[in-house]
Amino acid sequence: MLAELIQHIVNGLIVGGGYALMGIGLTLIFGIMRVVNFAHGEFFMMGAFFLFTLFSLWGLNFFVASVLSVLGVGLVGAVVERLILRRLRQAPIEIPMLATVALSVIIQNAAILIWDPSPKTIKHVFSPLPLTLGPIHVVSIRIFAGLVAVALIMGSHLLIQKTRIGRAMRATFQDTDMARLAGVDVDKVYMFTFAFGAALAGASGALLGAVFWVYPAMGDLAALKSFAVVIMGGLGNFLGAIVGGLLLGVSESLGAGYISSGYKDAIGFVLIILLLLWRPQGLFGKKVLPR
Amino acid sequence: MRRTWVVVIGAVVLVLPFLGVDDYYLHLLIMAGLFYLLAAGMNLLLAAGQLNLGHTAFFGIGAYTSGLLAVHYGISPLWTLPTAAVFTGFIGYLLGRLTLKLRGAYFVLVTVGFAEVIRLVATNWMDLTQGPMGLAGIPPFNLGTERWTLVSKRDYYYLMVVLAGATLFLTARLLGSRVGRALAAIQSNESLAESSGISAYSHTMLAMIVSCVLAGVAGGFYAHYITFLSPELFGFQNTVTMAVMVVAGGQGMVLGPAVGSLVFTFVPELLRMAAFYRMLLYGIILLLVVMYMPRGLVYYLRVMLRGRVPGSPTSTPADRSFVSEAALGRGGAAALGMRGVTVRFGGLAAVDGLSLDLGRGEILALIGPNGAGKSTAFNVVTGFQPADAGRVEFDGADITGLPAYRIAERGLVRMFQRTSVFPEAPALDNVLTACHRLARTSLWELVFLTGAYREEERRHRERAQGMLSFVGLGGKAGEPAKNLSCGEQRLLGLAIALAPDPSVLLLDEPAAGLNAVETEQLMRLIEEIRGRGLSVLLVEHDMKLVMGMCDRVVVLNYGVKIAEGTPAEIQRHPEVIRAYLGSGEILADA
Repeated sequence: MLAELIQHIVNGLIVGGGYALMGIGLTLIFGIMRVVNFAHGEFFMMGAFFLFTLFSLWGLNFFVASVLSVLGVGLVGAVVERLILRRLRQAPIEIPMLATVALSVIIQNAAILIWDPSPKTIKHVFSPLPLTLGPIHVVSIRIFAGLVAVALIMGSHLLIQKTRIGRAMRATFQDTDMARLAGVDVDKVYMFTFAFGAALAGASGALLGAVFWVYPAMGDLAALKSFAVVIMGGLGNFLGAIVGGLLLGVSESLGAGYISSGYKDAIGFVLIILLLLWRPQGLFGKKVLPR
Repeated sequence: MRRTWVVVIGAVVLVLPFLGVDDYYLHLLIMAGLFYLLAAGMNLLLAAGQLNLGHTAFFGIGAYTSGLLAVHYGISPLWTLPTAAVFTGFIGYLLGRLTLKLRGAYFVLVTVGFAEVIRLVATNWMDLTQGPMGLAGIPPFNLGTERWTLVSKRDYYYLMVVLAGATLFLTARLLGSRVGRALAAIQSNESLAESSGISAYSHTMLAMIVSCVLAGVAGGFYAHYITFLSPELFGFQNTVTMAVMVVAGGQGMVLGPAVGSLVFTFVPELLRMAAFYRMLLYGIILLLVVMYMPRGLVYYLRVMLRGRVPGSPTSTPADRSFVSEAALGRGGAAALGMRGVTVRFGGLAAVDGLSLDLGRGEILALIGPNGAGKSTAFNVVTGFQPADAGRVEFDGADITGLPAYRIAERGLVRMFQRTSVFPEAPALDNVLTACHRLARTSLWELVFLTGAYREEERRHRERAQGMLSFVGLGGKAGEPAKNLSCGEQRLLGLAIALAPDPSVLLLDEPAAGLNAVETEQLMRLIEEIRGRGLSVLLVEHDMKLVMGMCDRVVVLNYGVKIAEGTPAEIQRHPEVIRAYLGSGEILADA
């Protein structure tokens, strides 16, 4: 009984790590650029397909392929920012939002043309046997996914706190005009932020793609979940995205285990509606990147 | 000219099915009409700046309500469709209660999530909806008895013409009246809208309910037209289609969604020949439209046809007789009183036990060094900041804690320091918007354009023009506020504050950023306003203005009142001089 509960929580935390990665990317992009990225799910999907192509089709080393996939998604993100979003910076909020919606239609349908719609698996290098700790069983690829997620989250935190570009991001987040006056190259910050957010989504897609299935529409649900994560955690709130991601992963896992697996994907939004009843003025505070 | 166009287009719409149009194209036209109902609703809410990206949920709720009632209870579609509309409106009301306080991206994301939850319910609640298998066997629409069943595409086409025509009429009336002005004001500058007596919540709620009722009608129509429903109705793709129609057509414009839904129903059909590449091309077209025509087709068409940016009506003759009715003949107690008002931010008291009285027809200045709590005091009085202790009285009634628009409705109106105008709208519309609280006609009179409504609208337009002339901007009625100079914007702000016919006016640093000539002009105007019976409370740093025209002065320092008296008394007050760094600043300026 207790073992079952712990098993659900462990599974939830591993998936939640992936949600948190998605959420951090989305929340950084919104916090700094004021863009709600509806193509976030497509970056997630691209991460998985890049890994599938490099590793399963072309036979590269799994770890090399993973790193290249994530970098590749980041590159796509940079191009998107440069060619599309930069031109829409002065427009009202719904315009860049719809541009990312259009982008998600384009990317998803391009993926269907390139890789066809059928689901694929990535036959990764890990043993299919579960690791057993008492009554808890976890397949090793999941442990790998969980550890990488933790490492990436910590890495992102360090990047924002300790590096030059991280400082520029925090400055832009607080006050774009002041940051510009203080000599921050805001264009560069925006481009980096979008690329970085996209790469995090790509990493999440590569990790969860290796655990589950890979198919062109896989980003739809992932994007919806990352929306739930950032609303719970507060748009623009780094720590909130982590907490929201883990909370969503665990509550989905528990919900699927004890309530109904059909409604599993609705749990995040039911949580949000409950939160709204509790705090009608909005959810968490709008503050920010940790300082 | 315009009337001719309406007649010609109307005639074409009516005879179209008899011109040998293929059933396939009639079907597309019907679907365009259906999406028009949805896009028009979305457009209405977007006029207030709220983008509902879960709109397809309401479409689906309407469809399933009508379909299920007809299938399970055998009720005639003539009754299930209106029931579906009302029920969908009710669900919209419930969601609005929860979410309309959210703004911008939060609202968008929560509505996306709502649609997803509804989709999952429709998929998983097998007993009710038959889940992914879909709900089949829905009866076609009829007019009460089965003898009058709608069979052909032509029948449904005419039903849709009626529904779409009614939608066009309704949304045109709403957007073209004070409701539309209020929605635009909420989007443009919510605080100013509230302080002009416009309730952001009730207007966005009205837009939400109307848009959901329209979605319910569209859903009901769809259920009996297609006679089969599946949870795919709730897919995000549907909402995207609607949003694209609104934006590509021209958001905020009455005809925008109509043009958008026609074009974006036919474009994907034209792309059919691209076979596999169809959706890819569709995405690319979307992206190009959003990037290069963000204002929508209707806007660019108008610019092309008229050769200029759509403007506003020309000015009407000036009427300078705006004598405040509210302020006349009500002698007696103080107009405005603060009793021990305290506001704390964390441990710090920004305003600490402040009491003051503003007499009728008095000009009272609230001064003090930066950070003394003047603006906070203003915000408490006007309902933008709750007080931790104390009371605010206005006309003898306790107004502490009332929402900002209620306080404005009672005749206590403020002018903001920086954001005192609605930047996009022409000057006249700025003032007209602020006449909102004077409206007495009902929503029905407004929709059906009754004589009383027309008369009221004409009066308000005259009044607005009169206000503009009063502040000296009579010639700039058609100019968008953002094009006016800083001084002119301040004067426009004053006209906006006067429009709701206040009895007490609160001015937050009205002279900040004005040059000497403009300040002189402003002082004359304030004198004249007082002369017409209004009371004025102002926060000001310009000592010349304060000492030159105020009857009394209240001095704040660190949230505490340190002095009160006539300008002459204040200038000699030792504590005041100390507060101003012990300098002779206050004397030197005066």
